[in-house]
Order: sequence, then structure tokens, then C-alpha cells
Amino acid sequence: MRTASADAGPAVVFRDVVKVYNGRVTALDHASFEIARGETVALLGPNGAGKSTAIDTMLGLRTPTSGQVRVVGMSPADAAAAGKIGGMMQTGGLPEGAKVSELIGLFRQLYRGRRSARDQADLLELAGLTELADRRVEQLSGGQAQRVRFALALAGRPELLFLDEPTAALDVEARRGFWQSVQAIAAQGTTVLFATHYLDEADANASRIIVVSHGRVLADGTPAQIKAYTSVRTIRFSTPAPDTSVLLGLPGVGGVTADGDAVTIRSGDADATLPALYALARPVRGLEVGGGGLEEALLALTHDDDHSSAHPPALAHPDRSSRLSRSSDASQMTKAG
Amino acid sequence: MIAFLRFEIVRTLRNVRFLVMLIAFPALLYLIYAQQHGMSQGLTVATLLLVSMSVYSGMGSAMFASGPQLARERSNGWMRQLRISPIGTPGWFAAKLIQAILLIIPGLALLMTLALTYGHVHLAAGRLGLLVAVLVLGTIPFCALGLVIGLTFDSQTAQVAQMVTLLVLAFLGGIFIQWSSLPHGMQLIGKALPSYHLAQLGRNAAGGHALGLANIAVLAAWTAGLAVVALWRWRRESTTA
Repeated sequence: MRTASADAGPAVVFRDVVKVYNGRVTALDHASFEIARGETVALLGPNGAGKSTAIDTMLGLRTPTSGQVRVVGMSPADAAAAGKIGGMMQTGGLPEGAKVSELIGLFRQLYRGRRSARDQADLLELAGLTELADRRVEQLSGGQAQRVRFALALAGRPELLFLDEPTAALDVEARRGFWQSVQAIAAQGTTVLFATHYLDEADANASRIIVVSHGRVLADGTPAQIKAYTSVRTIRFSTPAPDTSVLLGLPGVGGVTADGDAVTIRSGDADATLPALYALARPVRGLEVGGGGLEEALLALTHDDDHSSAHPPALAHPDRSSRLSRSSDASQMTKAG
Repeated sequence: MIAFLRFEIVRTLRNVRFLVMLIAFPALLYLIYAQQHGMSQGLTVATLLLVSMSVYSGMGSAMFASGPQLARERSNGWMRQLRISPIGTPGWFAAKLIQAILLIIPGLALLMTLALTYGHVHLAAGRLGLLVAVLVLGTIPFCALGLVIGLTFDSQTAQVAQMVTLLVLAFLGGIFIQWSSLPHGMQLIGKALPSYHLAQLGRNAAGGHALGLANIAVLAAWTAGLAVVALWRWRRESTTA
């Protein structure tokens, strides 16, 4: 049973965190977010965005250069010592010479006394390892080893579960089973934070998506809000002597760049922009509409991030609005739980 | 911590390299040489060999508790998994120390059995008890040495580092060959090594002589020095990694 004081406050406070490796490589660049208890949150971003570094600092495996990191109301090291967090890291080898059942038994015992550990049979079942219990870890396939690491992360019934690219070694079938297990865990009240660059995974399994790139939080909102970026289209065409201020005034347009005759417009509502563009009665040649899909949206976001002088897309950062809606989500969740 | 200790011991006892190098190999050497007649350093060959092989098996087993395996588990991510579990740094270090001490038992027990039967070694219970105590406590610096190797070298080089270290300790420390027959320069190096002093203590215990305080002091100094290095490596890894 959790005490009232342990339940108070957010599951994760990540405030203005900077992590610089060797004084040169900036992995986290003043990243901030908060995660309420019971949320299932995806950390979404391209490779090298800083997702793993962020998770490592929350697990206490890395010390941030500056900024504040608190998990379940304490420092990451204290939370680990108290058995309140579980994690499945991207690189997670297993110790040679051990059997699956021994390894899971060990973790149940490490957490025993601090938390009510999960039953061994339940744990094997949950991770789909019942048939592999007597197998030595060096005989496991990559996907099987990953399931073992999932079981280890769950052994202590953690309040907060971190999953760093958890399905990397899994096939489609195993992936589905894995997410069913995660959703079962989340339904029991465990806060889950997972990193992924699979957009469909984030969309299907998270109640909230935090988009990171270059160590910064680019967007933070519900999957629907993040997916709103998918309506951002890039419209390219050429027209003689383009007038950017006129083009910027077209409906839906968030940004215009012109290079000679070549014009690129970013629009949040291409269906409204295109008729208005033709209504200008200027010659428009070689028109192409690109974009759509979260991938393009992320690219657009990342691109804006790289060239911060450019106009933001029409929908702008959903930061403010999404944060408001998130805190109301969170309060509903607290009431429900 | 006890669960972790049991887990580590079970999987070490499944390790073929451990069984062959540190239990079967010294026992085999004992079988080959123990029936030679004669006395050396006030002890029968069979008794002297018991001490030497026990020291070799003991220090090797203690280093095996961490060493290359630890280096591998640092690089493959297993140590990260352990570090986010509630075991904690003091618990982990304590488990590694006790593991090192307990893992010398199989080799020691086998050698003792061979000595008392095949080697016809007759030691009074008091001397035998003192010898066991010396060997058990004397493994502590080698446990620290294994930690330093495992925390310093990467998974590729730790195996070599461990073997070289063990062989240097065994040869220059006067365990595989008599220390007095080494060239002068090597004698000087050998005399600074913990293996030399542990073997001295072992021979004194078996021969019924008083234990040398200087030997004990050198082993304690090695333990302290290596423990500081091990802790430093551990800290460094958890703060800058």
C-alpha cells in the first residue's frame, strides 16, 4: 500500500536539465517537463535527440550538468534504493551462467521488503517467459532476452517504469504482446515513460507525447495534438517575382520562403491555402504539396528548431495549450485514481 | 544482498573456466608433485605445495569474483540494471567481498583433502585451522584487485589483464617457483607483491611459526590501496558515465 505522502506530487520533475558530455556534446539543452502519477508518456524523437540521456538521468545512471531531476518526489538514486523505479535500458546485457528463473527470482528478492514483489509465476506469464524459465540466459534470442529484461523491470512492482526503446529487438507479433502487457501495468496505476522513434507506438500506447530533438522539448501534448502537426503541408511552386507578404496573408500559411522564383509555403490548412493561392491570379507553375504524417511533422519541427529564425508552422508550438489540457487531464486522472 | 550473493556463487560454479583454472589445475599440479620426498623451508614438499597451491587457487578465485566478468557486465549493460535496483553500492561491494571469500572454499577443500590423503600431510588441528584462517583473510586484497581489474579494463582486455596479473603474482611471489631462485631484480619486485606475503604467512602457519607482522602489514596496505582505487573507479563510472 502506498502512503499518502508518497503519492503526493508528480511522478517526474525534469526542470531545465542540461547534460554536456566531455564538455563538448550537448545531449540535453534546458529540457523541461513534468509527468503526473498514472500517466503513460512517450518520449518521441529521432536518434540522438537526447531520449536515452533523459531516461538515464531519471534513473540516476547519469548526473545532469545542471537542472533538477526528481522522481516520485526524491532524487533518482534514493528512488532506486527505495525500489520505486524499474527500468528497461536500451543496452541491457544479462549475466552469463544464470537461468531465467534465477535472474527473475533474484530481482524479486532484491525488491522484497521494500515493495510487494510480483509473484514469480505471474511475472513469467506477464513477460511471456513461462516456457523459458529453465533456459540459461546465453541461450536466449534477442527478443527473448528483451522479455527477460522487461520482467526484471517489473519485478519490484515499480511506481514508475522507464522503457528505453523497448521493442527494438521484437518482431511484430511480440511487439503487440509487449504493449498489451505495458497497458495492463499502466492500468494498475503504474506511471510509464517510454522512449521510442516509432511514431505509431507512441500514438497507440501513450496518453501524452513529448517530442524531443537536439536535447530540447519541441512539443508536448496529447497524441491528437501532436498529430495535428500532420496537417502541416509544404507547398512548393514557382512564380515570377513572388511577394512574400501577400503569400503570408493567405489562409493557413505559417511561413513563406522565396528563393528567386521558387517559393516554399508551410501551411496548417492546405485545403484553404491552395484555392486562395490560385485566386491571386498569378502564374503558378510546378506546384507540389508535401508532408503529412507524423514523420514529416517531426521533420518540420526539427527543421524549425534548426533554423529558429524561420516562421513557426501555422499551428505553432502547442506548448501552452497542451500544457493546460495536460494538467486538466492529470487532475482528472488523480481524481479517478 | 544474500540473494545476490547466492545468485553470483551459483553462476560462478557453473563457469568452466573457473572450475578448470582455479580448482582442477592446482589439484592436478598437487597430484603431480606432492609425492616428491625431501624438505624445503622447514616443510615437507607435500605441505609446502599445499600452501602454494592453496594460495594460487585462493587468490585466483577471489579475483574471479569480479575481474573480467565484471568488465563484461559493465560493457553489456548488466551493471546498469543492477544499479537501478535497490541493491545499492555498499550491498554490492559487501556481496563481492563475501563471494570472493566463499569461492576459495571449493579449491581449498579439494587441496586439503588431497594433502591429508594422497600427500600424507600431517598437520595439527591448530596449525590447519590457522592456515585456513590465513588463506581466507588473505584473499581480501585479491578481491579488491579483481574489482580494480574489472572496473578499469574493458571487456576485451580484462581477461588478459587478469591472467597476466595472476601469473606475475604466482611466479614472482614465489608460488610456482621458489622465490630465492629468482634473479635479484625479480626478487625485489616479488617481495613487494601481496602473493609473496600471503605465501609467507601460509608457510609460517603450516610450520607452526609465529605469523610475520610485516607480512600482515603489507597485505593490509595492499588491501587499503586497492580498495581506494576500486572505490574511485566505481565513483567515476557512476558520475561521468
